[in-house]
Amino acid sequence: MLMEIKGLTKRFGGLKAVSEFDIDVAEGEIVGLIGPNGAGKSTVFNLITGVLPVTSGTIMFRDADITRSQPNQVAKLGIGRTFQLNPLFPEFTVLENVTSSFDLHPHSSLADIFFNTPKYRRNEKFIKEMAHQILEIVGLSKEANELARNLAHGHQKMLGVARALATKPTMLLLDEPLAGMNPSEIQYSLDAIRGMRDNGITVLIVEHNMQVLSLCDRVVVISFGQKICEGLPEEVRANQEVISAYFGADYVC
Amino acid sequence: MSEIKTSTTESREPGEKAGPSGARARRWAGVSSLGAIVIVLALLPLAIAGSYKMHVLILAFVYIVVAGGFRTISISGQFNIAQGAFMGVGAYAAAIPGVWLHWSPWITIPLGAVAAAIVGSIIAFPFARLRTVYYAMGTLFLGYVIMNLITAGGKTTGMSTGLGGVKPLFENRTNYYYLGLGLMVVSLACLYRFEFSRIGVRMKAVAQSHQVAASVGIGERGNRILVVAFSSFFTGLLGAFYCHYTGVASPSSYGLGATLLIIMYVLVGGLNSFWGPSVGVVILLIIPEFFFRELKGDLPYVTAAILLIIAFLLPDGIVGLVKLIKGRVVNRLIRKEVATDVDGD
Repeated sequence: MLMEIKGLTKRFGGLKAVSEFDIDVAEGEIVGLIGPNGAGKSTVFNLITGVLPVTSGTIMFRDADITRSQPNQVAKLGIGRTFQLNPLFPEFTVLENVTSSFDLHPHSSLADIFFNTPKYRRNEKFIKEMAHQILEIVGLSKEANELARNLAHGHQKMLGVARALATKPTMLLLDEPLAGMNPSEIQYSLDAIRGMRDNGITVLIVEHNMQVLSLCDRVVVISFGQKICEGLPEEVRANQEVISAYFGADYVC
Repeated sequence: MSEIKTSTTESREPGEKAGPSGARARRWAGVSSLGAIVIVLALLPLAIAGSYKMHVLILAFVYIVVAGGFRTISISGQFNIAQGAFMGVGAYAAAIPGVWLHWSPWITIPLGAVAAAIVGSIIAFPFARLRTVYYAMGTLFLGYVIMNLITAGGKTTGMSTGLGGVKPLFENRTNYYYLGLGLMVVSLACLYRFEFSRIGVRMKAVAQSHQVAASVGIGERGNRILVVAFSSFFTGLLGAFYCHYTGVASPSSYGLGATLLIIMYVLVGGLNSFWGPSVGVVILLIIPEFFFRELKGDLPYVTAAILLIIAFLLPDGIVGLVKLIKGRVVNRLIRKEVATDVDGD
């Protein structure tokens, strides 16, 4: 298993946002984490990436315990992520957003950077080329020199993905990549996510948009912080508990 | 035709994307004008040796670096209202061993710089938990506490009257002038390199969103401590130089009043530009002392007026104003170019 999470629990004061949550992700999978608004999906992401401290439970990534790791350490280990809101550096240009995100591979030491050594200059040249390639992949080449805050919402989301790819992740956590996108952008994004998996990146997607199901090898459904169901997309779609979580118990006949 | 005009002027940022050859030309223009300024400053003692004007320029060298250090910390999103106190740490760390242990100034001045960097990074560690206005409030109290600790040092620190008898470096003022000029050039060069390299990119990334920065491996705390330590080194260096020059380390030079003066230089010159603090010192220190000394009593009113105008009309300071005008001119040129192009077709 690439990632194993056991008994993950998060309390905010008296409120249990996530409780005894288990999930396993194997290498090369696309796993969907779906559930209604407020179910605790984004909280799970924030716990995995160390943005929020875990109350109890363990998170293992490639057999290393990352339960108490800081966000930048988690990124160093190869877990990239995107954000639902404000996914970028608004005052940087689109290109700068990507080049600044290339901070781990290749990594330049402070001394190399300050004294402008040949190694640093080589790294920067390489980063610039790679950044242009990534922008090409996500379809933002034309916007390279625009300020990121001036981008349309869908483009901002794609830039968030480009930034996450710049960290060379083994595993990518996508936080509602489809929210606020129009149908053609959604189709484009679904293809892009499939493309990432084909390039060997394991993907964990948080969504409440059911369209994302078509993409997943496996789906985990979370409601009120608890796992209510896990299985293949079509199994989950037919599950009574899932339907009642989304539409209320009245709709289950 | 009007459509063509607007689309080109909008897609091209004024003076920004003139291509690689334009960038090189602009760089050359920048480097040569800086070189010219340094040469003029280096030759100036021939005309004003030993005068009051020379004294003013030495103070200006000190404050340009200290204000520049404040701005360097600010690029990481930290508004450090203890900058005067960091300068004081450098000054006292140089003055105390100099006065009581008779250490040579050539040792105590670097010692002041190192002490300020160490104290800065120790303080920065817990303060890296605070952001925005809470960080500013925290450092406001911190500066007060540091100066109180220093004045509480009894005979060793000279208490509130300050520590006199700090050994002078040189007999004559011209030597101080050249040392001060040299320290300023080296410090500004280091601060410039820091900001306009990947290190500065990391700082600006942390300032814009610490969460997004961390998600690509740019840690918030380490970088925020680094910028405070780096900038405080130069602040302490010039603080130590300043106290050897004046011969006293007095708490009034490093208290809240001093910090507010430093912040005024930065805001008037422009917080968002590397040369802002230098321009601020020229406008609020050099020009009044050189040309308007007879106004001395009225000067605070003039300063207040300048500050109010800046606050209401020019949030990016004088450098921001210059950029705005330059942008307008460039835009007009582009518009003309486009118009003639279209006419030619």
